[in-house]
Amino acid sequence: MKKKHLGYSMLLLIISVGISVGVTYSNPKTSDYKKLTSANTEKTNSDKAFNKMMDVLSHKRCVNCHPSDNYPKQGEDSHKHLFGIQRGTSNHGVPAVKCITCHQDENNDYSGVPGAPEWSLAPESMKWEGLSRIEIAHSMLDKTKNGNRTHEQVMHHLTEHALVLWAWNPGVNAEGIPREKPPIPKDEYIAAVKEWFENGAIIPEE
Amino acid sequence: MSKKKISRRKFIVRGALGTAGTLAIGTYLFRNSIRRSIAGMANTADTPYMGNTKTPIIWFETTAENNIIFHCPKVEMGQGTFTGLAQIAADELEVSIQQMQVIHAATATGNIDSFSTGGSTSVSGLWQPLRELAATMREMIKGEAAKKLGVNITTLSVRDGIISGGGKTLSYAEAVKDVTDWEIPNTPVLKNLKDYKFIGKPIPRIDLKDKVFGAPIFGMDATMPGMLFGAVVRPSSIGAKYIDSDTSEAENMPGVVKVVKEKDFVGVVAKSRMEAENAKKTIQVNWDIEKAWQTKDIEDMIKVGNGEPIVIQKEGKAKSILEDDEGIITQEYTSPIGAHAQIEPNGAVASVEENKATIMMSTQVINFSRKEVADRLGFDEEQVNIIPTYLGGGFGRRLHTPNAIQAAILSRAVGKPVKCFFDRKEEFQNDTFRPPTHHVLKAKLKSDGSIEAIEHNVSSGDVMFGSPLVPKIAFSIIGADVGAWRGGMIQYGKIPNYRAISWRVKLPFATSWWRSLGLLANTFAIESFLDELAIKTGKDPVQFRLDQIQDDERGHRLKEVIKAASNKANWKDGVTNDRAMGFAASTDANTPCAHVAEVSIENNQIKIHKVTCAIDPGIAVNPDQVRAQCEGSIIMGISASIYERMYVEDGQLRPVIYGPYRMALMKHAPKDIDVVILENADAPGAVGEPPMGPIGAAVANAVFRLTGKRLRSLPLELS
Amino acid sequence: MKISFNINGLPKTVEVDKNTPLLWVIRDILNLKGTKFGCGKAACGACTVHIDSEAVRSCSYAVKFAEGKTVTTIEGLGTEENPHPVQQAWIEEIVPQCGYCQPGFMMATAAMLEKIPNPTDEDIDNNIINVCRCATYYRMRKAIHRAAALTNDSSNPLNS
Repeated sequence: MKKKHLGYSMLLLIISVGISVGVTYSNPKTSDYKKLTSANTEKTNSDKAFNKMMDVLSHKRCVNCHPSDNYPKQGEDSHKHLFGIQRGTSNHGVPAVKCITCHQDENNDYSGVPGAPEWSLAPESMKWEGLSRIEIAHSMLDKTKNGNRTHEQVMHHLTEHALVLWAWNPGVNAEGIPREKPPIPKDEYIAAVKEWFENGAIIPEE
Repeated sequence: MSKKKISRRKFIVRGALGTAGTLAIGTYLFRNSIRRSIAGMANTADTPYMGNTKTPIIWFETTAENNIIFHCPKVEMGQGTFTGLAQIAADELEVSIQQMQVIHAATATGNIDSFSTGGSTSVSGLWQPLRELAATMREMIKGEAAKKLGVNITTLSVRDGIISGGGKTLSYAEAVKDVTDWEIPNTPVLKNLKDYKFIGKPIPRIDLKDKVFGAPIFGMDATMPGMLFGAVVRPSSIGAKYIDSDTSEAENMPGVVKVVKEKDFVGVVAKSRMEAENAKKTIQVNWDIEKAWQTKDIEDMIKVGNGEPIVIQKEGKAKSILEDDEGIITQEYTSPIGAHAQIEPNGAVASVEENKATIMMSTQVINFSRKEVADRLGFDEEQVNIIPTYLGGGFGRRLHTPNAIQAAILSRAVGKPVKCFFDRKEEFQNDTFRPPTHHVLKAKLKSDGSIEAIEHNVSSGDVMFGSPLVPKIAFSIIGADVGAWRGGMIQYGKIPNYRAISWRVKLPFATSWWRSLGLLANTFAIESFLDELAIKTGKDPVQFRLDQIQDDERGHRLKEVIKAASNKANWKDGVTNDRAMGFAASTDANTPCAHVAEVSIENNQIKIHKVTCAIDPGIAVNPDQVRAQCEGSIIMGISASIYERMYVEDGQLRPVIYGPYRMALMKHAPKDIDVVILENADAPGAVGEPPMGPIGAAVANAVFRLTGKRLRSLPLELS
Repeated sequence: MKISFNINGLPKTVEVDKNTPLLWVIRDILNLKGTKFGCGKAACGACTVHIDSEAVRSCSYAVKFAEGKTVTTIEGLGTEENPHPVQQAWIEEIVPQCGYCQPGFMMATAAMLEKIPNPTDEDIDNNIINVCRCATYYRMRKAIHRAAALTNDSSNPLNS
């Protein structure tokens, strides 16, 4: 058991380094190691799941359609959607240029236009663009912002909604080049989301 | 009236089209007409009409319904040529415009301009010969009517294709019926301008309804019975030469009829477009690519000082004056690689049989397309019939048509008609681009604020010399690329000393004709520089220009458009309510044009609210289409000046799609375009290109007034 | 695969690869050439048609999605004898130059006017985002306003 805990701890350390850009770990003089308690372990599991989940949710395949302004983003560089495409009043575009003018229920390999059921922008309240992972998580659980969803409903959205899962089947772009997928495999992501919610959906401190 | 009897052989009489009689007025008649036309144009920079004067050809047919079918030797690519030429023909033919039907002349039957449709010369070049032909045909038909009615020709009157005389009437259709021997009169005296009913009137475009109701009129719409679909693999890399290819997968793809391997390309023919494209994707081509070019390589090549200079204009002692170190003002300007980006891709529908080929396509070089296909197939030119269609945009893109060859080769390989088109990425990467340019302008001012000497150096990729239309020998004869320096000469003749120098650069990718050729970049550079000089002297930029223009006819016409544009726009130098005006002018192909652009900066973007344009095309055959060409040129010029740029990355020209290749959209177009038409010459001149000249500088000059920042590179970018 | 839909008021069944872009079915199988190919990437809008009253770019629309739906192309928008107000306005303002992109623009405009009968200039800027290389935008804008006026003018026989 102890060995396993150590393993988690190492992983957490690596993730932490990743998150904090290694500022405080650059040249440690002494070890900060503290013996783990069971509360630590749960938190560790939860945080690990959280980080996996957020590796996905902070990825451009998700954030491109959670803009902080009224313009969807596109591409690996998250540029403003070409041709000035806009959110419109119902997140589905403007009257004669809706999402469905170009985006259908599945990817179109011929045109390179991506597609999935209910292709649309996330509502303005769910803007993630420019937020930190922690901020995204808080926003996601905040009923005033998340469409009055319970934790369970949020979990369902994150693990079952076709538009979310499209991220692992993002198709090819206009030049036939495959779009980048999120850094965590789909099954692992779904398991992590469920684990995080089952552990109480605890958002780590900033 | 002396008459010359000519044999029936010189005309073609056909019944196949359901026509009452076909008059092919060409041959003998046309030769005189064209000779006069060329002589008349010797004084101008215009390209004369260069039609076939050798073989019998069809110009006009009369139908049983008493309509006239005009076989137009120029193609319709949006510029309104069909309408303008129909007006010209109708007036001398004495028929109503509603009776005129215009079709593209095919090489097998029609009179094809041996050069091209382009250079804004269609109406100007045919102005004289077409009126003479129409008038002659009218007199010939009247001659036959006189015989049939048994009256003297001088007693006949004509209106709307109905001949009246001796109390009787006869339609043109009736008059030409069963005529086998025609008498051709001397060329009749043409009508006075004021007597024309259609010339000079804003007649609606005659192709309007076809274009509004979706008629199948374009090359892309052409079909032939039993037609299959082809796809050709085209390179993405600059300078790529085809070596060989692996087509094993393609051969077994669904719908594939045949994989066709040639010495210089590989293609596939299938039952549908998608099947052809899917199979094409599996073909692995081995390309010979010399170098992975980058934008920096191209920029380093396009520099004044590289290569051999050719002096294209010289007056006084500009060289020695500007060699002085004292008080010389020098500025540099650049323009980027531009794509044609016409919406209809290039392609063709070809049917090649044992001893003949028929090709339907959008082309600006009908005769050249025919020659290329004939050469490749080993046919005589007469064995190849090119049937031109309406063009889904031309802009110079269809002056090079290897697509006709490819479709023909694929057709011959499968023994059936084949339709084969470019895809959009291929369009962007295999374009014949507008070359990038670099300009160095130098000037010295006199103490009174006038210009003592000015010099324009332009370094450009090839325009005319980049075209397969122009024989290689042209360089040694002409010296400088007239396409590259179009608009590059100093038009301010009161300046005592001026010079213009062209520096030729051969780029590793195809550069050639692009609407208005060098005019866009050269005018941007010169007219921006003029504005900088005006500001230095503290003079109003409009007055500054007027003061430097000579007093001859050309100068007078330029001054008049400058005055007209500035007056109509209520020209004011400075910023009012966060908006500023910018001014620029140029003369292109004998047509002077001036623009006032009214501009503001919104969200760090250049916003153009209004453009006032004054243009003097000499005679506006169709004032509405003159306006339309000005409006289109202005917005396309804005697009090229503010948004468009191709770049080179790892050996590829990019972008490859609309969107990343930024172009003006509805929201970028000025909401107000005011066109003033002056008519200070006695013949129609160019219209389709001259208004592209001054727009870039007019906008940049306004931006300077708003921001204090002088933008000297196209596309204009604020930061 | 057999796919059935209604196009310009007529029921049609086509047998074709289900992922074929609707554009090629319309043009090459149903032989309606008014809908144009420009880019094949849903970027230029030349292929715009209406599917169940929404503007859709048919180059990026697999034909299988049309099953059971109603498709309208430029040929079904109006005819010379019975022009749609947008087409009439296009004629009155003499909009087209080369004409190639115009069907797509007219279809986009007709879709917009269904939803915004009196568009402002800003509405036009936001909703009409097709590409016209001849740059006929200036006249298009005038024609769009005119089409709106024609549509809203009850005295116009088009509206009876």
